[in-house]
Amino acid sequence: MLQIDKVNLTLGGHEILRDVSANIGSGEFVCVVGPSGCGKTTMLRLLAGLYQPSAGSVTYRGQRMLHPRQDIAIVFQDYGKALLPWRTAHGNVALAFEAMGAPREGRDDKIEQLLVKVGLGGQGKKYPNQLSGGMQQRLQIARCLAQSPAVLLMDEPFGALDAMTRQGLQDEVLSIVRDTGATAFFVTHDLEEAIYLGDRVIGMLPHPGRVAITVDVNLPYPRNQLTTREDPEFLRLRRQLFDFIKDAES
Amino acid sequence: MKVERLLWLGASVLVFAGFIYLWQLICDYRWVSPVFLPGPDRAWQALMRGMTQGDLLVRWIATIERMIYGWLLASLAGICLGAVIGSSERARAYIGPTLELMRPLPASAVVPLAIALLGLSETMVLAVIAFGGLWPMLLATVHGFSAVEPRLYEVSRALGLSRTAVIFKIALPSSMPDILAGMRLSLTVALILAVIGEMLASRDGLGSHIMLAARAFRSPDLFAGVILLGVTGLMSAMLLGWFESWMLRWRESR
Repeated sequence: MLQIDKVNLTLGGHEILRDVSANIGSGEFVCVVGPSGCGKTTMLRLLAGLYQPSAGSVTYRGQRMLHPRQDIAIVFQDYGKALLPWRTAHGNVALAFEAMGAPREGRDDKIEQLLVKVGLGGQGKKYPNQLSGGMQQRLQIARCLAQSPAVLLMDEPFGALDAMTRQGLQDEVLSIVRDTGATAFFVTHDLEEAIYLGDRVIGMLPHPGRVAITVDVNLPYPRNQLTTREDPEFLRLRRQLFDFIKDAES
Repeated sequence: MKVERLLWLGASVLVFAGFIYLWQLICDYRWVSPVFLPGPDRAWQALMRGMTQGDLLVRWIATIERMIYGWLLASLAGICLGAVIGSSERARAYIGPTLELMRPLPASAVVPLAIALLGLSETMVLAVIAFGGLWPMLLATVHGFSAVEPRLYEVSRALGLSRTAVIFKIALPSSMPDILAGMRLSLTVALILAVIGEMLASRDGLGSHIMLAARAFRSPDLFAGVILLGVTGLMSAMLLGWFESWMLRWRESR
């Protein structure tokens, strides 16, 4: 569905990505890991249409990505900056409907449903600064779901959250993605998170950013924070990716 | 919390009362000639007389009207121009130095030019108020618009917001704290310039009232005017303060 084909990207004289290719199938959950500066966020921005490649092509359903699309939603890492602080939780979700020019009637109910879906039921009147970090990230996810996206691009969405909140949100994202049948592209620096969530994990290396390894994850669904993480296959994959990162850094 | 606030309020009232008492003492003991400094009692009498029998009330309202019209004009122009300049880096590069050159010009310095162009008219006074009030407004708005979180522009692109929607739903509300701060400054400037304009163009208002009283050595009348100016400044600041905290209610945490 999403295809990156032999992409090079140079920004301000720096070579960020070299000869990057990747193919993301419909309904697939792809995770990208790699040390900082390997261009994983840049790859996400290419898929979002926020950047254009210097060479090669990025296509979505066979069409070139020339600008962002409403059916491709982005969850940014810095939820504090990505939400509008002057709008309530309800208003922040409403922004997505306003952008789509959706009819006004029934909108309030839809917004409340989305808030319930991400665990923010009854919190619609609160402003972002009255919500915890985890709740703010849930709110951003709700806004993305309002776009009824075919593709969810997530840029280290749980990087700034504590471990417990993180695990809870991982399971919620998994179930949301499965329910909606959306395709997911998930950038993280946490190897276990990548294996836990993904159908496939792409490992990248820096200077310049390139795809170095692709690993298929054959772990059963639904995934479980305890049993999945103790599965021998999980541990084997973790070892494989860990060695890969360690080699890259030495 | 509430008790604390009441105590602070009580303290500020006490300081004010002390100040009035000191003023009364200075006059009672004639440390300053009553020709120049009337006591608070005589100033108050003049104020009451002017309000009930004279046309002080009419003049006061005239001054307030001028201040508000000029201020609104300045705010509107400042926000529109500031939005254009603030949201474009190129515009900032072109116009920035000129703005910095014009900004420190005292508005009263353009009064002769305004008189030459517009005559001693109401329009001239309004133009001078608007010109003076424009600068704080303009600079605050430019700052507000140039400081919009870049991530929000990306969010807008990802959501597919239209250009106008980005201006009215993202940039303008995001700049609101700066804009309101600018409006506060600009309001003070507008009051000062309304008075100066009235003095120079002898339009009926507090400015001309104060000047005529000074020329005739009617110091109680002069002070009555000054008191009204102070009240105007205080009231407008309070009203704007309420408006500001209502507009920015999202800033209060928890």
